[in-house]
Amino acid sequence: MPVGRLLWLGAAGLAAAVLTGCGGSGDDPAPPPQTPPPPPALTAEQTAAFHFLNQATFGATVAAADEVVKQGYEGWIDAQMALPASLELPHLQALPASQSMSERQRDRIDIWFRNAVTGPDQLRQRIAFALSQIFVVSQVGALEQAPYALASFYDLLATQAFGNFRELLEDVTLHPAMGVYLSMLGNQRPDPARNIRPDENYARELMQLFTIGLVELELDGTPKLDASGRPIPTYDQEVIEGFAHVYTGWTYAGAPSFRQARRTVENQVQPMQLYPDFHATSPKLLLRGVTLPAGRSGTRDLTDALDNVFEHPNVAPFVAQRLIQRLTASNPSPAYVERVARRFENDGTGVRGNLAAVVKAILLDEEARSTTATDRGGKLKEPLLRMTQLWRAYGGRAASGSFAMSNPASMFGQGPLQSPSVFNFYSPTYAPPGELRDAGLVAPELEIANEYQNTVLTNAFATQALSRNSRSPGVRADDVVIDIGEEIAIAPDTAGLVVTVDRKLLASEMSPTLRDELTRLIDRLPATDDDFARTRRAAQAVYFVAASPEFAVQR
Amino acid sequence: MPRRTIQRRELLVAGTAATLLLARPHSAITQMTATPAPFGDYRALVCVFLFGGNDSFNMLVPRSAPEYGVYAAARQNLAVPQADLLPVAPLVTDGVEYGLHPAMTGVRDLFDAGRAAFVVNVGPLLEPTTKDAIRARLANLPPQLFSHNDQQDQWHSLRGDAQTRSGWAGRIADLMRANVTNQQLTTNVSLNGNTLFLAGDESVAYAMGASGPLKFTGFGSGSFGREHRAAFESVLAADHTSLYAEAFADVQQRALENADRVTDALASTPPLGTAFPTSGLGQQLGTVARMIAARERLGMQRQIFFVATGGFDSHDDQTENQPRLLANVSAALTAFHTATVELGVASAVTTFTQSDFGRTLTSNGDGTDHAWGGIQIVIGDAVLGRRLYGRYPSLAIGGPDDYGSGRMIPTLSADQYAATLARWFGVPDADLDRVAPNLAKFSARDLGFMAAA
Repeated sequence: MPVGRLLWLGAAGLAAAVLTGCGGSGDDPAPPPQTPPPPPALTAEQTAAFHFLNQATFGATVAAADEVVKQGYEGWIDAQMALPASLELPHLQALPASQSMSERQRDRIDIWFRNAVTGPDQLRQRIAFALSQIFVVSQVGALEQAPYALASFYDLLATQAFGNFRELLEDVTLHPAMGVYLSMLGNQRPDPARNIRPDENYARELMQLFTIGLVELELDGTPKLDASGRPIPTYDQEVIEGFAHVYTGWTYAGAPSFRQARRTVENQVQPMQLYPDFHATSPKLLLRGVTLPAGRSGTRDLTDALDNVFEHPNVAPFVAQRLIQRLTASNPSPAYVERVARRFENDGTGVRGNLAAVVKAILLDEEARSTTATDRGGKLKEPLLRMTQLWRAYGGRAASGSFAMSNPASMFGQGPLQSPSVFNFYSPTYAPPGELRDAGLVAPELEIANEYQNTVLTNAFATQALSRNSRSPGVRADDVVIDIGEEIAIAPDTAGLVVTVDRKLLASEMSPTLRDELTRLIDRLPATDDDFARTRRAAQAVYFVAASPEFAVQR
Repeated sequence: MPRRTIQRRELLVAGTAATLLLARPHSAITQMTATPAPFGDYRALVCVFLFGGNDSFNMLVPRSAPEYGVYAAARQNLAVPQADLLPVAPLVTDGVEYGLHPAMTGVRDLFDAGRAAFVVNVGPLLEPTTKDAIRARLANLPPQLFSHNDQQDQWHSLRGDAQTRSGWAGRIADLMRANVTNQQLTTNVSLNGNTLFLAGDESVAYAMGASGPLKFTGFGSGSFGREHRAAFESVLAADHTSLYAEAFADVQQRALENADRVTDALASTPPLGTAFPTSGLGQQLGTVARMIAARERLGMQRQIFFVATGGFDSHDDQTENQPRLLANVSAALTAFHTATVELGVASAVTTFTQSDFGRTLTSNGDGTDHAWGGIQIVIGDAVLGRRLYGRYPSLAIGGPDDYGSGRMIPTLSADQYAATLARWFGVPDADLDRVAPNLAKFSARDLGFMAAA
């Protein structure tokens, strides 16, 4: 935000106030500004649909809420699941070949935002984003120069968002983006003479972060305890080493040899290939006492090892809990986790790992659909989702159509496939000091909502609302601009303005405090019938609500 | 007044005089034994966290025969060539000559000048242990060894099996609240986001950006700007139904108050002459130096800073990446020490590293995996420098110090490391066990690398 612009607004506003205050002596009073009637507050049905959409999309809009009301929740989900995936890789591949890889990463961010903000397959995109925070790969590190691999990986998540978890696990395992990120790519059989043993990175993180976690779980996600009341580890170092041996012998497809495999634009988007001579042939200890016999092929070892993980009883509650946290609630009740976990174990037709059934179970659960606001229900919105919701509510677009930005993490503290490590942007168990921690509750998203990062985003909302709205002068073709035309039309009517913003951003559930403060603040601004005064009131109202704690949380 | 409001106020004013008056009666703070008198001096601890697990047995390496041979046999293609190692000459020798990684000339100079020390083979431990005890399954070990986030948590919290709620720096800040009542800012400040390390049971840390705090820009100027801000604050102070909204509002309120105060203090402090590297770590440490320069304007007497840099999880391409990582650390640490000299506080500021774990001495082809014990660097003029603290382990694969695949079993605990720093910082001996809960299991309560408090 150029400071000059703000100062100018302030000074001009003051001038306008002075003019209204002392001008026009002896003349007829100016006619009251024309405003349309205020829109109705959302109905209870619309409000409930609005909350649903904040869980299932990149931001609720009133129009989408009407669609949900019309189709019903399940009908809307079914329709969404039937939509094809909006993809990233074809967009990158269609661009001229001469650009640098960092420019291509910028294009990857661009297409991610385009799909998130404007893609019709909102549910699929939201699930892909959730999965990308479980199966973490990142531009930060060894994939910095591999935008195609990242785009292709994200496409895999979007394509498989409603597929089977077992298949997803194998596709993720063999994707070169994951291969590079967690160093399974190029992992080789032991060479005791040179003190070389298989790389344990993927073996460890696949179990710890993607599938079963560190301790045995009940179906409701709570830890199982041994006779002395202690949690039971799911695996030990020997099991890690067993899996590390499984994941040997794979590198880029089509290489002249295992050792001569180098990344190309083509092979970074193709599944890795087995080079049998580099696969460890020893027996391999897996989970729950299973041992793979010696001398089998790398492909067969991989299939059986991933089956071994997939069949572990932890997978259902682990995945249920992780996805619930991304979509609906930081602190789901154990009963909610168990209901979803049961759908993971059996989708009703005997199939285990059906993600479509799991997603449905999460979104349609009574706990997610409850219309009663509680102190611990819901969650804090991720910074990216706060911005995409604002953009979706106000038709945020750039004249060029671009959402390109080179470093979203600097603004949001997170970015698409830009986690600082495989541990994602925040820990699923992060508990901020204070009442949440004292109550034994977690709030993952609060880990990146620190004083600095919150200020950056709050300032970004200021820039967006105050100087990149539909009447802002000097916006560039690549600036995302929000359309506040309706707010401008009704701006002189303070109450009507508040109702308008309330229904678009807060589902017509604005708290009395926020309403009072916003009303008082807007009333301080001149309500004259000119474009400047109208725009100023409209923009300030949108900013004030977007920056509020109410907008920061998802019920 | 609803309970939440009381708690919120407490969070908001943490670190100020009002905090004590509002402290919850049941809280541990009432049991503290620290003398509630203001400190007469200034001290700062600066934690430099190397995320991912620094391969520190490639950072400080035995240079002389036969130990270099053992090292080279263990490390194979990852070994630093003998001739490349930067010789260091500790004041006290164990008969072995050591060398520093060639990328760390700055740290070598600090060491030779007596301003830096190495703490060798330190790691999370619940009690002293041995390979035999581990093999016999008689050892009480920290949970989830070799897991990144769990071992980071151990370094941060020293909590062992207990539920992790606070970090050891956070507990120091809790203990010292009565001694620092004139401070206008919390004792603990992060330049790298929220961290368990700085979180107290009572006190809350403040997070600023790598280049300092940031003000809210959206209020506008003049009387409307003031009213805008007042309205914004009223909304933050409201009772929110959602605990997440409540916690979010607390952060916003702290951001609002501190940014103005700290920005003004920094703005009225003369710029430093010392140049810092442009790396993320260099930028963070440069800001810490500016904060220290502004300490008197903020009434600060005790400060703990957290800075961090990542990329140390070298499963791949270690020989290409490690020199760059260590050069970056060395340059930033050296510049920071120079700045403390410039500010005349080199004896009042102690910088120390922590990292998830050391790494396997064996290779996975072109990198290393997660291990346990490692070597840490301590820098400052209050450090009894040019010394190695602790016994350098045998690097033989399958040797007495090897848990397996070249994972060194620590002989010093992270608790002892923390307690030594805490004592110098002003924590009374009787309170060290609150800072470092496993300390009582170890005979040495002080590793001796700091000058007397």
